[in-house]
Amino acid sequence: MPANSVPVYLDHAATTPVRPEVATAMQLALEDNFGNPSSTHAWGRRARTLLEKARSTLAHALGTSPECVVFTRGGTESNNLAILGRARHDAARGTRARVITSAIEHPSVFEAARRVAAEGGRHTVVRFSGLGLDVGALATALRQGASVASFMWVDNETGLELPIGEVGEMCRNHGVQLHSDSVQAVGKLPVEADELSPDMLTLTGHKLYGPKGAGALLVRERGTLEPLHFGGGQERGLRPGTEDVVGAVGLAEAVRLAVGEQRSEARRLKRLRDRVEAEVLAGVPGARAIASEAPRAPHISSLRIPGADSDVLLAALDRVGVAASAGSACASGSGRRSRAVEALQPDDSGAVVRLSFGRLNAAQSGERIAELVVGAAERARALGTAGNP
Amino acid sequence: MRILVAMSGGVDSSVAAAMLVESGHDVVGATMKTFCYSGDAAASKRSCCGLEGIADARQVADRLGIPHYVFDVEEGFTRDVIDDFVSEYANGRTPNPCVQCNSNTKFGDLFVRGQVLDCEGVASGHFARIDNTGSTPRLLRGADRTKDQSYFLWGLPTEMLWKLHFPVGGLAKDEVRSRARALGLVTANKPESQEICFVPTGNYRDLLADRLLPTHAALSPGPIVDPGGRVLGRHGGYAGFTVGQRRGIGGGRGERYHVIEIRPATREVVIGPRHLLEVGGAVVGDLNWLGPPPVPGRRLGVQIRYRAPVHRCTVEEIDDDAVGLSFREGAMAVAPGQSSVFFEGDRVLGGGRIRETVGGR
Repeated sequence: MPANSVPVYLDHAATTPVRPEVATAMQLALEDNFGNPSSTHAWGRRARTLLEKARSTLAHALGTSPECVVFTRGGTESNNLAILGRARHDAARGTRARVITSAIEHPSVFEAARRVAAEGGRHTVVRFSGLGLDVGALATALRQGASVASFMWVDNETGLELPIGEVGEMCRNHGVQLHSDSVQAVGKLPVEADELSPDMLTLTGHKLYGPKGAGALLVRERGTLEPLHFGGGQERGLRPGTEDVVGAVGLAEAVRLAVGEQRSEARRLKRLRDRVEAEVLAGVPGARAIASEAPRAPHISSLRIPGADSDVLLAALDRVGVAASAGSACASGSGRRSRAVEALQPDDSGAVVRLSFGRLNAAQSGERIAELVVGAAERARALGTAGNP
Repeated sequence: MRILVAMSGGVDSSVAAAMLVESGHDVVGATMKTFCYSGDAAASKRSCCGLEGIADARQVADRLGIPHYVFDVEEGFTRDVIDDFVSEYANGRTPNPCVQCNSNTKFGDLFVRGQVLDCEGVASGHFARIDNTGSTPRLLRGADRTKDQSYFLWGLPTEMLWKLHFPVGGLAKDEVRSRARALGLVTANKPESQEICFVPTGNYRDLLADRLLPTHAALSPGPIVDPGGRVLGRHGGYAGFTVGQRRGIGGGRGERYHVIEIRPATREVVIGPRHLLEVGGAVVGDLNWLGPPPVPGRRLGVQIRYRAPVHRCTVEEIDDDAVGLSFREGAMAVAPGQSSVFFEGDRVLGGGRIRETVGGR
């Protein structure tokens, strides 16, 4: 990054830094409470107290009860547990497992559902028509029954909000459990784990200024899940292994703070996002904001920049100190394929860049951010797409 | 100077990047993603530009403290390299995909991306050298003649030479490896990549079977004949053959036979004893000159295969489209489609693709 520029981190949907309050809480847990929560002695009791306090803090913040909280090692693990755990529970009881997902789920949901199919079950994909989930197709799928339906609350690539309330009602009417990958929703939208919410919710610490490797699955009926790991019975058998007390403390504190600030933070992020988006659309001919006409989470803007390549645009942004991404990070690092964008806007071409806003942009001006993005877009467009250098 | 260096994830380009950093340049690393690796993860591991190559390149870049980007050039690579490769074999010719990539994809794409990133130069880990001391830059063979890759670089646009850097071109392969080890680079002991990067199975016939209709003439059975047209046997598709090849044509003759010629129109594969492989000349098309084109009567060195010896030849006739050569001592196994690269000492004068052979047999 050039020495004279201020870094602009616009990749909060990829990950966020641990906020100071969380770091402090974790530091305290780290220094004085090394005990194994399963031990009966004083050290163990102290660690267990801390773990259970974290559990109830998290539960309280999301309006559920502590026994519904299963600590996991992150979003992927929670999603895998919800889907494979439900499917294997059914399969073990002689029912053919069936998983219904949307077409734009994160790989940790989608690949888990494909795994169910590989194990002899079925995976039904509900597509989109324009920006709307095809609820007719969902109804048809639900009529045949399912082990679990899994629909993300907020799409990580475009910010699109899925109609979780409506999907939940449909699932309830058909007696199908609903799981929702909510890692991009908690702290950004009012998420409550009440009786009308999904039966299972995935959240993870590092998307909301907590630690990486610390997540949770909120489960209403834990008896309908088979564990994916086997061992000492921790987390009531659903996630055995010595508990990560420090991670749980950090996760709980991060969730508590994020939920507490949700309304004001969402307002602030939406204002900044909309400002940047408007300026970029005005400054880059032909640019479009994907899913902007649908309900969106306040922190994500997915921009289509015609006449440029995503990888080149990202490199040009990086050179001026702007961190963004092209949808979700792909294994090879070029990130060109985006399941969500392909599903929601199949016929458009050009670069897709995702800007995701957060606390690191608190003191930054939307005009300045937009100026950098427009400049990089102009450079990338001057080069053209790989097809026409 | 800011330099964009192509990093395949192999040891040569890793050391090239390291040497540029050591010389004080502002280095930016780039890996070109040339095809989709999602299909077979195990297969892509073996190829140096596959997923593992990208991960290795990134790790080396991190070690060197330089930024690293992955550029997706799949579309252009498929069109300019893979499609060409398939159509050449379909026409009974023998392509040089690495030449196509260097000429059309790799360096051109690097240059335009370098411009976006304000880079003044572009570098790669090829064993070749650029001599910028004269009024025009000259492309030279790598100092390590056993690893020299200048054969693959004849198609570079001349205006690029000014901005090109081949940092390892003056080193021996052993030195490259020992530098990599000294720097603790993850790629230091990586084996040489042998196969064509977009044929991870190692057998190009798999790719042809995948991309041509099964009814295509090149994949359909045809006769194996002697130069007189006498049928000696059958083959399963002429796309599996290259001029000079000995394998796959059946044995049981007193003398070892080779593929002498491929005739797509009749699907005939012509075989015969080794001496029939010798030709007196060739016509070379698709020319690119890295200096002034030679005039008729000019004597040059010419290399008609990677790692083949240099043959002395005379330019018989030349126009913008093609050059006619006569080999002074005759040349063996000159395969249409292969690159013919002209040398004067260590200097690459230019090259082209062999269109047809002349004389002999």
